[in-house]
Amino acid sequence: MNCEVCQLKELEVEHFEIREVLRCILHTIVFHRALGLVRPKDVDLELFEITYVQCGDVELEKKIDEKIDQFISWVEKHPNKKSQICLSFYEVKSKQPSWFTNKTERLYWEQWYVNLNVTQQPKQHSSKSHHTKVVVDPGESANEERSSRRAMVEASLREVLFQIIKFVNEKKDHVPPISEGVIYFPYEITMPSSSDSAFGMDMIKRMLHSGHPTMLS
Amino acid sequence: MEMDRESGKLEQIVSQFRSKILHVVLDSRVPSLHRHQQHDSLSLSRVRKTDKWFNLVLGDRPPALENLNFSLRNLLDPMVIDIILVRHASCSSSVDNLYSPSAAAAGPSTETVIERWVVQYDCPRGFASPSGADASVSYKKIYKKCILLLRSLYTQMRLLPAYRIFRQLSSLNQTYNFDIVYKVSSFSHPFSREEEDGMKEYSFSPVEALPGCLCVSVTYHATLSDFDLEPLVSLPPKIITDYVGSPTTDPMRSFPSSERGAHATSFPFRGLRPPTSAPFQRPHSWSSGFHRGIPPTKTQSLAGSPPVYRTSPKPYDITSPPTDLYGNRIQNHRVSTLQQATAYDEYKLSPPFSPSASPSTPTYLSGANPLLTRHCSETAPVTIPLPPTGRSNRYLSPNSSDPSRHSLPPLSPRSSKHDTSSQESPSGIRSYRKIEALRAGESPSGLSNLYSAPKVVRDSKDDSGRFSGLLSSSGSPRIGFSRSSSRLSFQDDMDDCEFSCPFDVDDVDVSDSSSQNTENKRASEFTAQSNLVGKKSQDAAVGILVHMLRTAPPLRQDSSCYSTRSLRAEYEGGVGIASGFFMPRKTADALEELNSYREMKDLLLSKSGTQVVRKEGMK
Repeated sequence: MNCEVCQLKELEVEHFEIREVLRCILHTIVFHRALGLVRPKDVDLELFEITYVQCGDVELEKKIDEKIDQFISWVEKHPNKKSQICLSFYEVKSKQPSWFTNKTERLYWEQWYVNLNVTQQPKQHSSKSHHTKVVVDPGESANEERSSRRAMVEASLREVLFQIIKFVNEKKDHVPPISEGVIYFPYEITMPSSSDSAFGMDMIKRMLHSGHPTMLS
Repeated sequence: MEMDRESGKLEQIVSQFRSKILHVVLDSRVPSLHRHQQHDSLSLSRVRKTDKWFNLVLGDRPPALENLNFSLRNLLDPMVIDIILVRHASCSSSVDNLYSPSAAAAGPSTETVIERWVVQYDCPRGFASPSGADASVSYKKIYKKCILLLRSLYTQMRLLPAYRIFRQLSSLNQTYNFDIVYKVSSFSHPFSREEEDGMKEYSFSPVEALPGCLCVSVTYHATLSDFDLEPLVSLPPKIITDYVGSPTTDPMRSFPSSERGAHATSFPFRGLRPPTSAPFQRPHSWSSGFHRGIPPTKTQSLAGSPPVYRTSPKPYDITSPPTDLYGNRIQNHRVSTLQQATAYDEYKLSPPFSPSASPSTPTYLSGANPLLTRHCSETAPVTIPLPPTGRSNRYLSPNSSDPSRHSLPPLSPRSSKHDTSSQESPSGIRSYRKIEALRAGESPSGLSNLYSAPKVVRDSKDDSGRFSGLLSSSGSPRIGFSRSSSRLSFQDDMDDCEFSCPFDVDDVDVSDSSSQNTENKRASEFTAQSNLVGKKSQDAAVGILVHMLRTAPPLRQDSSCYSTRSLRAEYEGGVGIASGFFMPRKTADALEELNSYREMKDLLLSKSGTQVVRKEGMK
């Protein structure tokens, strides 16, 4: 089985936008891979005028939030770095136990790479500051800059969501058959760990399991 | 038989696929389909048979869908869903839209197809079902791919521009000059070149459903900002001419009935009127509490909103979702697809369905919050009428330091406005009393006058002198205070109102008392007045006492100022201040003052039933 890989467009986000952006992207992907009986739940983003869809599973939502928290912690320790979250879907296959392998193995059939460039928080030009009220011009220009930046992020996020839709539509054959009673395929969310090398090792392991080189598009 | 069953399966998949797409599209574009929907937890949690198709729980299908399904039975024909933006002509006055909601719909309107969804099973050879053992596998694959397509379609519905205006229309708190209707047909009129400008097309990857394939595409307006989509003004400004204010700001004021108009009731005349039977013409935010005897009308019960802007009560609750970046968009997580089961089918449909011009109203339901069509929760701005100038002039009076004025001195060194006020007789006295009453109204305890004593410096001498003069004379300050307090309490007796102010006074009382200016009458007067003091104005008396204590002058020798005050005091009415008052300050004066304080105290205590009033010789 092929492992389809989708590298999503890189998003330049600020620290406080990470949670919303990741929730939006990860839930959208999972919704397209939750092929069991789902009750879709619309969620409006607070920072952007975008509505995304969740599959409505509470456990899934909780796990995704946990992963996002981990990612945010990592970002705080590694500021101003490009980061990547990998959402992988796999099948569990049993195999002959051997010295190096377990009884079961994961066959990854799809990987989504969410690329984020977390920018450093700009200097405080918050309108909440009393000083900005005194000096009108810098506050106004900062607000305009902020709103234009926000619009850009929103547009980029929309592009990413359309990219997901396009990918889901174009590639359907590799999706495994739906199991009875299963809402969504087994998935895994990986992110850079404390050291980048460990993250790289995870990638290599995954490649070995899938049996195909990572297809970068 | 098995082949028939298999072919039936494909037809069923195609048929249900079209229905599901139609359900998703209408659910995300047409707010009026959500009207008259009632939720409860049971309906939300229930999984219907139709929900299980393609593993997407959307809730009850609108009945219109069933009609459409019946009409589009030929699965080989395309299903064209047009989402039409109906823009109402802008009226000259937005008030017309408000008072006649259908006016907007009845007027000329412009219709524009903002989205066109085309679902087609493209099968040149008809429904030739696959045969063999692979048929089942084939159907499963087809079914899986249909699920994937529907997922992506569902997501994309929320990303296209039309979703935003759908959410606007679905909002609770706003009405707009546009509406969204739909049209479903098996054919489509091609777009004109003009219409095609600004439109984009997206085609979902076809799902192979051998022998044919299922194709879904959408043509949509990339931006809707070119359309003049505006919210209608919910509440035209209305100037309330009979605004009378709230009792919380001025609890001592009375509220005249509507027939009396809006002018404030002055205390000297009537205090608080007894409530009349005439209902108020307009509600007030405080209507429930203050107006005794007036049954709260429906309008009054709607606190905070003029009745004319209220819609008729609906059978379900009215709640407003929180707002967010979308304006009135619902912020909470919502299960949008579980709120169907409307019977609303009045929309424009292509033939053979009957057209309908009914205005669609925002009926999007979220959770347990159904929408009202014209829910206005705002109150109109009000104008507070300025006090009549005549009345304000009444409080402007010559300086109290003018000895020729037959007027009462200001009771306390208050603001300059009050110091320059009310020095005429009797009208001046009346206006002075009104000041007192008004100021008493500002503070329920009636002590505001006295506590403001330290404010004005320039009158402190006068006041202190007056009071000290009163204290030092046989017309003791006790008398003076009691007189003034008695004057006030006198009015209390005469006032039949339930709500009265300690400083209520009457003209008659003032004029009567003004004639008493002899020393001989002081004692009897004191007795009479002392009787009156305790009746209702203990607060006033205490206030006067406190003021006296505060303004008590230091021991000094300054006779010039006292002469003036003594003359004034003669006209205070009833206070017999002896000419012997005109003497330099000595220890004797201080002792007299002390005695007066003691007498006052005793008087108060006697009235409270604890001590007999002791009369001491006043000199």
